[in-house]
Amino acid sequence: MTLAQQAPLLHIEDLAVDGDGVSIAPFSLTLIPGQRLTLLGETGSGKSLLAQAIMGTLPKGLAARGRLHIAGQTFAADDTPSRRKLWGHTLALLPQEPWHALDPTMRAISQIAESHRHVAGRSRREAGAAARRDLAGLGLQDAGHKLPSELSGGMAQRVAFAAASAGGAHIVIADEPTKGLDATRRDAVVALLARTSDDGGSLLTITHDIEVARRLGGEVAILRQGQVVERGPAKRVLTSPQSDYGQRLMAADPSRWPVPRPLTCKAGKSVIEARQLAMARGGKTLFEDLSLNIAPGEIVGISGPSGCGKSTLGDVLLGVAKADKGEVIREPSQSRLGFQKLYQDPPAAFSPHWTLRRLLDDLIRRHRLDPAAIVPLMVHLNLDPALLDRRSGEISGGELQRFAILRVLLLEPCFLFADEPTSRLDPITQQETLSLLVELARERHCGVMLVSHDPALIERLCDRRLTLGDTDTKSPAAITDTAAEASLSP
Amino acid sequence: MTRGLGRGLPALLLQRLLQAGLVAWMVGTLTFVLTRTLPGDMAYRIAAGRYGHDMVDTAAAEAVRAELALNQPASSAYFGWLWDLLQFDLGRSLVSGEPVVRELWHQLGHSLGLAAVAVALSLLLGPPLGLAAGLRPRGMLDRLSEVVASVLRALPPFAVGLVLILVFAVGLGWLPAAGHGRTAHSVLPALTLALGLAAVSSRVARNAMADVSQSAYYAFSRTKGLSDRLTFMRHGLRNVAVPVVAYLGVQFVYLIEGVVVVETLFAWPGIGHALVHAIVARDVPMIQGTALIMGLLFVLLNTVVDIVCHLLDPRRRHA
Amino acid sequence: MTTLVAPLLTLPRLSARQRLGGLLLASLLVFAWLVPWLSDADPARQQLTRILQLPSLAEPLGTDHLGRSLLARLAAAIRLSLGMAMLSVLTAAVPGVLMGIIAGWRGGWLDRVLGSLADACLALPGLLLVLLLAAIAPGNFWALYVGIALVLWIEYFRLVRARTRALAASPQLEASRLLGFGPLYLFRRHLWPELAPQVLTLAAFGAASAILAMAALGFVSVGLRPPTAELGLMMIELLPYYHEAPWAMAQPIVVLFVLVLSLNLLAGRDPR
Repeated sequence: MTLAQQAPLLHIEDLAVDGDGVSIAPFSLTLIPGQRLTLLGETGSGKSLLAQAIMGTLPKGLAARGRLHIAGQTFAADDTPSRRKLWGHTLALLPQEPWHALDPTMRAISQIAESHRHVAGRSRREAGAAARRDLAGLGLQDAGHKLPSELSGGMAQRVAFAAASAGGAHIVIADEPTKGLDATRRDAVVALLARTSDDGGSLLTITHDIEVARRLGGEVAILRQGQVVERGPAKRVLTSPQSDYGQRLMAADPSRWPVPRPLTCKAGKSVIEARQLAMARGGKTLFEDLSLNIAPGEIVGISGPSGCGKSTLGDVLLGVAKADKGEVIREPSQSRLGFQKLYQDPPAAFSPHWTLRRLLDDLIRRHRLDPAAIVPLMVHLNLDPALLDRRSGEISGGELQRFAILRVLLLEPCFLFADEPTSRLDPITQQETLSLLVELARERHCGVMLVSHDPALIERLCDRRLTLGDTDTKSPAAITDTAAEASLSP
Repeated sequence: MTRGLGRGLPALLLQRLLQAGLVAWMVGTLTFVLTRTLPGDMAYRIAAGRYGHDMVDTAAAEAVRAELALNQPASSAYFGWLWDLLQFDLGRSLVSGEPVVRELWHQLGHSLGLAAVAVALSLLLGPPLGLAAGLRPRGMLDRLSEVVASVLRALPPFAVGLVLILVFAVGLGWLPAAGHGRTAHSVLPALTLALGLAAVSSRVARNAMADVSQSAYYAFSRTKGLSDRLTFMRHGLRNVAVPVVAYLGVQFVYLIEGVVVVETLFAWPGIGHALVHAIVARDVPMIQGTALIMGLLFVLLNTVVDIVCHLLDPRRRHA
Repeated sequence: MTTLVAPLLTLPRLSARQRLGGLLLASLLVFAWLVPWLSDADPARQQLTRILQLPSLAEPLGTDHLGRSLLARLAAAIRLSLGMAMLSVLTAAVPGVLMGIIAGWRGGWLDRVLGSLADACLALPGLLLVLLLAAIAPGNFWALYVGIALVLWIEYFRLVRARTRALAASPQLEASRLLGFGPLYLFRRHLWPELAPQVLTLAAFGAASAILAMAALGFVSVGLRPPTAELGLMMIELLPYYHEAPWAMAQPIVVLFVLVLSLNLLAGRDPR
């Protein structure tokens, strides 16, 4: 027994992927029972392809090379059918976007029970009982009869976890398990994953989220364009990376960002002011008795769980939606055009049918702006003029978000509502984009309200912060308008 | 198709009941307009058609006039017309003199038989072929069935029927071309309708199957450890069936239209045939009766589709 | 105006099947409009001395049971069918698209009223409605046309309404509105480029349905009246002679098939 535990559960020798313009350099790893490895990388780094190569589910046109030793058996990486019999029993894959991975027409409990029955080979009754136990163990005892569309993202991920691991697999591969979850739900999923290796299994996690890697601990490998640039114990790699890319990636973690230049003029004047706002949606109070004011150039952070009314507050401030109670006072010298918004998903904020040049020309003609203002702004935002002749779908998300910043800055706004503007961007791009935004806002005396689900980011960047829908205090509109003591942080 | 998503079954049934009322009103109103637009001496001509040219006299023409309420002012005649309709008093055929309801009763049986065989045949042909094609998108079977479906969709039902007659009745002599009575008579008309229906339902099933088999939940079921067969049975069938059944509702439009022309082509003594005859002969009570029955049949079939969708798709029950 | 037409002209690179459909349709058009130029045959002129003649140099496609030139009759029938299809597509598409935009954009009671109107028009299967209208005005081209248009507008309405509704709530429209753009701009830059390809697809399918519906009515003798050269009518007229002259009866079937197939291919993928 002790011998079996010493032997690696998963040993991969020179696994490489090729084809269709993708190439992943040979990669090796060894996981003994109880061990964790996290693959950290940006989108497009090929990290998900490694998971698919191990499982044997690579899309058509891609081929894997190398050898895999899984629970004492040896496989050639390109012999995909042979690994099929390991699925569920030995190898479990926790899917991306659990909402989509659950059958939309089947109740949660049946999706877990079918693994117990058909994979673990239990009787119908035992399978049902085991599924109920799983649900209770995950705090989902009331969710068994629900359909996936009625589950929250975090609940769906727990159901998917139970369904994937019901077959008793000791090797768990989790592919971006926290995609689209907010901070609290993310941490809950991480804790769940950690259980696997605590129970003597091996865990291979694939993520772009440094915080997930930090919390899981174990070993970390950083991937970039199909190459492992650095690997080692999480403690070392995540605190003092050796490689250039690793250093940049860690520096992009909000807690290490440079502190923005402090707000200089804070003379009583405010660009926007809200008095005793109250708003309810679908019978749920989002906020009430909410008052705030934002000074020129000030960055106010706003955080809270999804669905707490952050975006709705923005709509009210911008005049897109009307509050149930209270009033919004906007800087009187400014027209409506002085109040602008940045969107979470940059491509969704542009018409995809026209070149960016066309769209900018439209704006300039509409408001008789000075076209000469574009070039210096593009330089400042580090945008290549050649991008102007592309459509919104043909440039990267980071570039497009900087275009969105450019577009609103042309109107010289005095207030900008930035609704999670970087949540879809990679860490390094996120840092570049936000530091530019803060710098420009200070320079142009534009007040910014920055929404983010990342408390560390808000802590770092914002002069003040506001928390909506604090679940601890039961009150749906607990607002802490405390000054973030930015200058005191290291 | 988001047919009735997010509403309870009672609300859906109520909506279908309203639709049935609307159908009755529309048919009643249009046929009433028809009575009013009949050329001047229509009563005489219809009477001549019914009793023969020698027998026609003022009394006979008066009888027809009364039947169609041509002697009353428009408004009261209209309400009388609708009131009769409400009581299902459809009057007598102007051509045969028989009560319309009795004639409809015979014809309905023939039409329902034909339609049932056609739908059953199309369900046997279309969805299974679509499932097989959808499991291997862009494969041989998929391409072949796409070509056949495109050809069939470009041919109206009567042209399909004509081709079938030319091949099986005239060319090979295996089956009778037209008529009614033996089982053999129903093969060609039912096949004609079924081919048109299957051409569409096979593509709907194919697209649904291709979507489902490429979905994340289908892949997850396999990586969970379920075999291909179990994955198909537990996660494929139901998810494919929902759009296929929902689309049947759209296909019933085709079925009703097909019944009209196919019955005419094959001289099948059903309701569609009777409707066309009545229109040619300007037999207003028969036009009203046949159109009403066909319209109500359409509503009824759609109601059945609603109920089946409701049973198949738990999302509808939960919403 | 150019910006409205541009998305139509720079239509997404046509697929192979769409090109095939376009080619077929173009050759039918050339055929239908060239025949009256090249030959002086009258589609209605009967020559009872030379009925059901095989194709020859004088009569490239032969003659029908009344000795009429099939070449001239087919060309006339194609012109009639396409003319009818164009007309009913236009009369269905214009109000359908307009009402769809209004309903999707405004929402509220107007949306509900228009939606109920569309539901009411679909309460009866389309052909039934057209048949009843045909019964009221027998043999009248306009009755058929109104009936077919009345049935066809709903598809445009539903599609456009759904897309407009989705777009009206989208960030891209909100962003443009915040940037100070008016409704006309939103329509030109956001809505129309999105709608145009889908509306065109529906138009091609709708033209095919209109042609099929008219032929079906002709076939059951409640559509246009003889001696009009109409495809369905030609089929039913030639049906009794299938034994003596199968080539004659096959002609309207083949033409109808190619006509509908070309439109279906041109339409591309069904957006419904």
